[in-house]
Amino acid sequence: MIKRLFSLLLIVLSTNAFAQKSQINIYCWGNYIPKEILRKFEAETGIHVNLSEYDSNSVLYIKLKTVPKSYYDVIFPSSSYVTRMKNEHLIRKLDHSKLPNIKNINNALLQHSVDPMMDYSIPYFWGTTGIIVNDKYHNPKNITSWQALWLPKYKNQLLILDDMQEVFSMAFSVLGYPLNDTDPDHIKQAYELLRKLLPNIKLFRTDAAQEAFIGEDATIGMGWNGDMFRSMRHNPHIKFIFPKNPLTFWIDCTAIPINSPNPEGAYKFVNFLMRPDIAAEIAIREGYSSPNSAAIKLMPKTMRESKTLNPPESVINRMVIQKDLGKARLIYGKYWERLKLGL
Amino acid sequence: MRASQRFKFISLSITWAWFGIFVLAPIVLIGITSILTQNEISIVSTPLTIQSFYDTLTGGYAPIFLYSLLIAATTTLLCLLIGYPFAFIITRASNRFRPLMLMLLMIPFWVSSLIRAYAMVIMLKAQGLINIALIYLGIIYKPLHLLYTDFAVMSGLLYNLLPFMVLPLYANLAKLDHTLIEAAQDLGATRWQTFKGVILPHSIPGIISGVILVFLPAMTLFYIPEFLGGAKTLLIGNLIQHEFLVIGNWPKGAAASVILMLITLLLLIPYWKSQPKPTRAKS
Amino acid sequence: MIKINEKIITNCFSFLIYAFLYIPILVVVVYSFNKSQFSMIWEGFSLKWYRELINDHEILTATWHSLLLGFLASTSAVLLGSLAAVCIKRYKFQGRKLLHGLVFTLVVIPDLVMGIALLILFHFLPVPLGFWSLFFAHTTFCLPFVIVTLHARLGQLDKHLFESAKDLGASEFVLFRQIILPLLGPALISSWLLSFTLSIDDVIISYFVAGPSFEILPLKIYAMVRTGVTPEVNAISTIILGFTLLFVVGATLIRRKK
Repeated sequence: MIKRLFSLLLIVLSTNAFAQKSQINIYCWGNYIPKEILRKFEAETGIHVNLSEYDSNSVLYIKLKTVPKSYYDVIFPSSSYVTRMKNEHLIRKLDHSKLPNIKNINNALLQHSVDPMMDYSIPYFWGTTGIIVNDKYHNPKNITSWQALWLPKYKNQLLILDDMQEVFSMAFSVLGYPLNDTDPDHIKQAYELLRKLLPNIKLFRTDAAQEAFIGEDATIGMGWNGDMFRSMRHNPHIKFIFPKNPLTFWIDCTAIPINSPNPEGAYKFVNFLMRPDIAAEIAIREGYSSPNSAAIKLMPKTMRESKTLNPPESVINRMVIQKDLGKARLIYGKYWERLKLGL
Repeated sequence: MRASQRFKFISLSITWAWFGIFVLAPIVLIGITSILTQNEISIVSTPLTIQSFYDTLTGGYAPIFLYSLLIAATTTLLCLLIGYPFAFIITRASNRFRPLMLMLLMIPFWVSSLIRAYAMVIMLKAQGLINIALIYLGIIYKPLHLLYTDFAVMSGLLYNLLPFMVLPLYANLAKLDHTLIEAAQDLGATRWQTFKGVILPHSIPGIISGVILVFLPAMTLFYIPEFLGGAKTLLIGNLIQHEFLVIGNWPKGAAASVILMLITLLLLIPYWKSQPKPTRAKS
Repeated sequence: MIKINEKIITNCFSFLIYAFLYIPILVVVVYSFNKSQFSMIWEGFSLKWYRELINDHEILTATWHSLLLGFLASTSAVLLGSLAAVCIKRYKFQGRKLLHGLVFTLVVIPDLVMGIALLILFHFLPVPLGFWSLFFAHTTFCLPFVIVTLHARLGQLDKHLFESAKDLGASEFVLFRQIILPLLGPALISSWLLSFTLSIDDVIISYFVAGPSFEILPLKIYAMVRTGVTPEVNAISTIILGFTLLFVVGATLIRRKK
């Protein structure tokens, strides 16, 4: 009886869990890559795609760092984390000969990237962080800068991104410091300012921010322009505002971890994502701004001319790219934790 | 004889190997991790220190522990206040209805607790059932803020854990001899006196089991505050998860886990005391 | 008069509790047929979300993985657990008390702590996070329930049976295979079923030890709820509820027939 059971187990094991079919493991932001695209890739290449999702760069970084055996093939870090990952040998140098579609990526903003030659990372989407309001509840005309969020009338209403660097950048912007400031004293001041914002905060969210704004569980707060562009399709009352203060912008990239079990598949996938028709479809479905100039030509007018996705010159001039915090990350982390705990 | 010794040896080795690797070693590792130092490169490293415990207990975490205990205690109390009379009603139900009532109680409990937590989100959303119903009835005209509050977290916990309170109480109260209650009432005891003098003392072990089954998960079900509490309401469970997966400070997370284990042990002491000593079969 | 009043009150109270238990789940079921993606406003009946589910092969794979893992983990838990229960019951050996303690610890340790403990363990062992880490973890957390069930059942068995078997020259292995296991039969089945449900339902421990190459259903649902992919969650919850009902009703009917 037992023997038979064991042999059954062995058969099941050998046929299913371990059949070495070609597969890649993708680790991506939540709601950032359409499933249809993964299916298309599978249909074209026969490589099976496993998708897992994270909700902040920090989670991605910690996962790569502490669980190196999780074996991801393609990850989507923000460019601010690319330097750190490169320095700590977490991602590999890209072989451009395997990425012919890289020629499609040429956006003026790229020069601000930490990796302008795309040696380690390739831009996937870019975007900026601004203020979100629902005009059914609040008059957007009264809200022009980050300072507005501190007004007592928004008590217990704000949705704040669950992202350390974004939130501190906002505070620095209000204080008039550089957005990627690493001065411990300034970080402390930012923390004290954010501490005053705490009574107004209803929730911290990144992944489900969209859902909260669409369902009107949150009616004012901060958010990413692409996320909100997509939300507006479901709830036209949502408005995106570029604050008058300096604001951050970021470039989310694709990268291949050093211990990727299937780098060939990973290259194929990254290259696939840069194909104009694919990149356009992704951007249309997800609502973010694409760095792929060949793809932009294929997008509908509403997207190409959207102010939310294509900030006017005046806004671009006050945008600052998000940078790696270096050692200051730990100081940020300490204050961020205190903030989240309400201390 | 030899063959028999061999079987004993093999089965003992397998058992020990498994328990050694997958139970003893991990628990010891948590203990060790909690006294190591956080390290940017290799996660943890020497020197040994009790700094993490110190940080956890003083460095601002004490309020989290207290808050977590408070939420868990309130949930447990609510479960008890609702579950006790309900368990009693089930025991008094007719033989025809009792199995049905129990089964109806069990069915939601068989659905994944994740889905039950999510169902609560659907109820409490600004455009959820409760708000839609209240607006439809004309009681309110602007949606209430129900989701992302302590109230939401406690509703979620209550909804998830109520059966864990009712079932041990039912098992206990079902053993109560109903003639005892009748006897007490015949002797002229009031309802309250009967409850206090007969029913309550008998049901203490059931209450303790129920409290443990509700209280402990209430502190650690991290996804409930995550879905319902807007990430501001942090329970011990969220704290530990956060330390391990977001901050990457393993020693601190491990220290919090050790403290959680100690709290568990403390809670189990009254349980042991209330249980009759198990008759240990001697081989 | 008083009696009737009391009856009304208890009935109302029970009714309210069942309403509290069932309304949220029923809402999920009803809205799984709603056309609209985000709003709770009824936009018409549709099977759209079920169609999406059937075409969503990630969900299907995760479901298959969950079933496979549940099957393998509960089977190995029952095998290991029966060995362990027999050891604890029949043999004297050094560290028996410690083993007892470990079984007990496994029952009471919070899931979260167990998950983290295993995460740290797998960090040091050459076990990739994925099928194997999940398999070890699930077998381990099912083990104590198997051992407790079987241990209790062993206590009820007639000891003389074992002695006479030994007198007739049966080795321990023969005794285990030919006498103890068959006698434990129903207890083996019920502990297997218990393990299977525990394994299928676990979120917290799996959350820490799962890897990308082996996704399981509870974690998939967790991710979907987090990112707000709600209509599909409604549909999958409805399907799970349907299976649960079928299973419970089926089990009751079988028991009735007996």
